[in-house]
Amino acid sequence: MSKLRTAALAAALLLPVSLALLPGATAQQKTTIGVSLAQDDNPFYIAMLRGIRARAQELGWDVATVSANEDKLKQINGVQDLVARGVKGVLISPIDAVGVNAAYDAAAAAKVPIVSVARGSASPNQTIHVAMDEKQIGRDIAEWTAKKLDGKGKVALLMGPSGAPTFRNLGDGYAEVMAKYPGIQIVVKHDGPLTRERGVKQAEDALVAHPDLAAIYTANDDVALGAMQAVNAASRKGKTLVTGMNGVPPALRAVKEDNLAMTVELNPVEWGRLGVDVLATYLKGDKVDPRVFIKHVIIDSGNIDAKLPKT
Amino acid sequence: MTKRFNLAGQMPLLTLIILCVATALMTDRFLSPLNLTNILVQSSIMAVIAMGMTFVIVGGGFDLSVGSTVALAGCVAAMVMLEAGIAAGVAAGILAGAAVGLANGLIIAFLNVNPFITTLGTMVLVRGVVFLMTGGAPVPHDTVLPGAFIAFGSDRFLGIHYLVWVPAILLAVLSFVMHATPYGRRVYATGGGREAAYLSGVPVRRVVASTYIWCGALAGVAGVMLAARLQSGQPTAGEFYELTAIAAVVLGGAALTGGEGTLYKSVIGVFIMIVLGNALNLLNVDSYWQRVAVGAVIIAAAAAERLRSRQ
Repeated sequence: MSKLRTAALAAALLLPVSLALLPGATAQQKTTIGVSLAQDDNPFYIAMLRGIRARAQELGWDVATVSANEDKLKQINGVQDLVARGVKGVLISPIDAVGVNAAYDAAAAAKVPIVSVARGSASPNQTIHVAMDEKQIGRDIAEWTAKKLDGKGKVALLMGPSGAPTFRNLGDGYAEVMAKYPGIQIVVKHDGPLTRERGVKQAEDALVAHPDLAAIYTANDDVALGAMQAVNAASRKGKTLVTGMNGVPPALRAVKEDNLAMTVELNPVEWGRLGVDVLATYLKGDKVDPRVFIKHVIIDSGNIDAKLPKT
Repeated sequence: MTKRFNLAGQMPLLTLIILCVATALMTDRFLSPLNLTNILVQSSIMAVIAMGMTFVIVGGGFDLSVGSTVALAGCVAAMVMLEAGIAAGVAAGILAGAAVGLANGLIIAFLNVNPFITTLGTMVLVRGVVFLMTGGAPVPHDTVLPGAFIAFGSDRFLGIHYLVWVPAILLAVLSFVMHATPYGRRVYATGGGREAAYLSGVPVRRVVASTYIWCGALAGVAGVMLAARLQSGQPTAGEFYELTAIAAVVLGGAALTGGEGTLYKSVIGVFIMIVLGNALNLLNVDSYWQRVAVGAVIIAAAAAERLRSRQ
């Protein structure tokens, strides 16, 4: 028994050392920038990170990432760790406009520029916000939907996580346009995480409550793909339009297959590259606007073929 | 025998030291004053939750509801604070936590419902109450919390963050309660063998109920701290905190069967979890691998503990 115990003790003691052998564990020499995204398991952020990595590599920079997975305290801690690590700049997609202010404060205290990509922050210490024109995108989705519905029908809104201003702005833009159409009623409005699972569930419930639902707006493609499953399962394909947002590859395929009515392409890969470029310009000492917009394109059956990822 | 037992009894501390030394050898950033301060602040909130969890686990119970209680306390504190000032807000937050603990304690101790099921129920129920109370949005969403309260979440006293003073003082006071009062001995006796404790005159039901009140009230304190850190009451805050807290308490050598466990070792358990995350971030270990590593460490530590107690 004593041998076994010694072995267990040795194993426990060796464990931390073995961590250094894990992929990615490196010492730093080159210019390193830190990245803290709101999630690391969402296709949008995975693609954005790919863009960040690609552009950073072209510039000869290293990228250090920390994960947050929608946990605000974890995001603050992660950015603190990045700053302690000595990164030259931080790209962050903040979970919440106020909740992670301490992350911005930590960067500012160490005089490290912190650039918000996609989601933004209310923190005065935010150096630059590489944003999308959220309200305008919401308006564009609503105009597109209203036209398809001939200005009448019941609509369900599957919004984003509560508190994130991006999704509130998208929804506000959407509602603003829909208010102009007296024939369109918003009958369901739910907040929730950006997951397929939640899209299925809330869409199922919405379809039970309103079997004649004409359209489902979703704040994100993953939610849309889930809602789409629920629509198909309820044999409402073609009768209940599902709209997405972000333009991730699985959503583009769904548009091609007529399962998803439309999505908005923000091209997260380009977004990641733009974030790095903005940071590079700032670090060089050049002036950058505090708000930089990325362009958006509506994708539906009309232009999907040009947008499909080449295989 | 005695000597060996002592070494094994200090496993948590030993693991922490080895972890720190190994990390320090791999990156010189680890021991920088900034990083050490970060680790203290990052550990502070979880340390308070883990202390409460130690009461429950030593008493032979289990509490899954602390994460939701943290969110409840933070939101209650923020709402009351906006109306009635900081002191009232803080008190209301802690009382809300204690109320959840009281409910758990009464149901478990006097109705003999399994603690796992009871607190699973309150975990979901309390989260629902928080969403109802706040409408799912952060509190406040159009104004800000009092400046002095936000300062409590970021400022220092004698060079140490206020957030770190809280668990430091609580640890001193509560260790006294656990080890130098008849009440503390009754908690250990009840967890160690309920029947024997009952026969020797310990009011076991009241003792068990009291451990949940401690746990709830301390989760309330943690919720107030988190609200200061996040500069708002966040309805989604604290998800999965119960699991981290339980893991930390077990890493600190407590037995889930009750009767064993020490507050300061639970705090060491928290440090192990936080330092591990910090080290993985500093070493730029891929975030997917981080999850694998954290899971492996929890299992390894629990297994080592199991082998020790089997002899």
